[in-house]
Amino acid sequence: MGQIIIGISDFKISNKSQDVLITYALGSCIAVVVYDPKVKVGGLLHFMLADSSIDTKKALQQPAMFADTGVPLLFKACYKLGAEKRHMTVKLAGGASIMDDTNFFRIGQKNIMAIRKILWRNNVIVTSEDTGENYNRTVELHMSDGRVTVRSGRGPVKEL
Amino acid sequence: MSSLDVDRILQSIKDLPAFPATVQKVSELMSDDEYAMTDLVNAVEYDQAITANVLRMCNSAYFGFPRKISSLRQALSYLGRENIIRIVSTARISKYYRDVEGYRLKAEKLWEHSVGVALMSRILSEKIYGREEPWLFTTGLLHDIGKNVLGEFVNESFQKVMSLVSDEKYSFLEAEQEMLGMNHAEVGGRIASLWRFPKEMIDTIIHHHRPDLMEEGDNTGAYLIYLADKVCMMMGIGGGGADDLAYRGLKGAMEKFKIHHRELEVSMIRLSDEIEKAKELVKLL
Repeated sequence: MGQIIIGISDFKISNKSQDVLITYALGSCIAVVVYDPKVKVGGLLHFMLADSSIDTKKALQQPAMFADTGVPLLFKACYKLGAEKRHMTVKLAGGASIMDDTNFFRIGQKNIMAIRKILWRNNVIVTSEDTGENYNRTVELHMSDGRVTVRSGRGPVKEL
Repeated sequence: MSSLDVDRILQSIKDLPAFPATVQKVSELMSDDEYAMTDLVNAVEYDQAITANVLRMCNSAYFGFPRKISSLRQALSYLGRENIIRIVSTARISKYYRDVEGYRLKAEKLWEHSVGVALMSRILSEKIYGREEPWLFTTGLLHDIGKNVLGEFVNESFQKVMSLVSDEKYSFLEAEQEMLGMNHAEVGGRIASLWRFPKEMIDTIIHHHRPDLMEEGDNTGAYLIYLADKVCMMMGIGGGGADDLAYRGLKGAMEKFKIHHRELEVSMIRLSDEIEKAKELVKLL
């Protein structure tokens, strides 16, 4: 089994059924996990912020840092390996906040809103999600069957 | 809460090894504008752990010196005043970190989080004041030191602590206080006090989750470390523990420094760059 680790502001794709794509300790960041069961191609993006207009130079160097520049990259990379949009499942995890989330710490909420909007605008339906709350999440995508699991500092492992 | 737990926690703090004099000595020397390089080298070179780590860090991408640095004297003369304090405290403090079972966190992760908070405190301090406050960097490294002692006690009451957090909406800090009669911030303050750190550092560590509850003295440092800590939690830096994000958001934190959401996001981008460069610091454990 090949374990492929995705760090913050990064994305990876795969078409090898023995691979597991994994990203650790998502806080307010969000993991966008896509998978096409027909061709067993999938990918995982771990973005940090919603909008790349805050630092366009950074967005060129590291597009996976932002939702708006990272998402197209993830989808296009999967298409290259033969995935098709109409067959792809799209799952979201993360976007947590600290407690009593005030307006000043709404990065998690902002990320959730941003990713939903981007997907909606592109006619992509979110298959399932585990977002918000105030705990961290570790997410795995099993390439063999597209299973997505979410582990948190609290509670049992969930399947998305 | 039981007073028995408090007694056991206090005993556990007393049993900690003394903080080596090196860091204090270096800080004292550095507070004198005319410090002599020989005194500085003398203060550091007897501490093998520090010497090895200072050289390792000097040769890391974080400082990016053009040529290889092989002697302590050379290293100390290249580094500026702030860097010397920063590097000596980092090299030393890392030695105190261990796995904290009660927080379900490995020593490496707790240390990575501490380095993240130290770096973020520097970024915020430059942004807010236009300069770095070296004591804040050290405070960032030490802010969670209390977890190293309290971890074992949290572990004994883990299920109850977690049920207060998950079901009763307690913050992790409040759950510690309720179950053990003490929280990790206060324990950290007591450790810093035992190690004879300055009062402002002790007060800042005690109030790093609740700067709004600081009754006397200047709460600026506590708010700054608070903000740095919460940003690192949101970014998942050294994250993955049971207590992640289960702390209270304080509206006053951003108002205190008059910084906007957008500026905080820019600081987060800067922090991810700094963390990348500071990998050697993180690897000290």
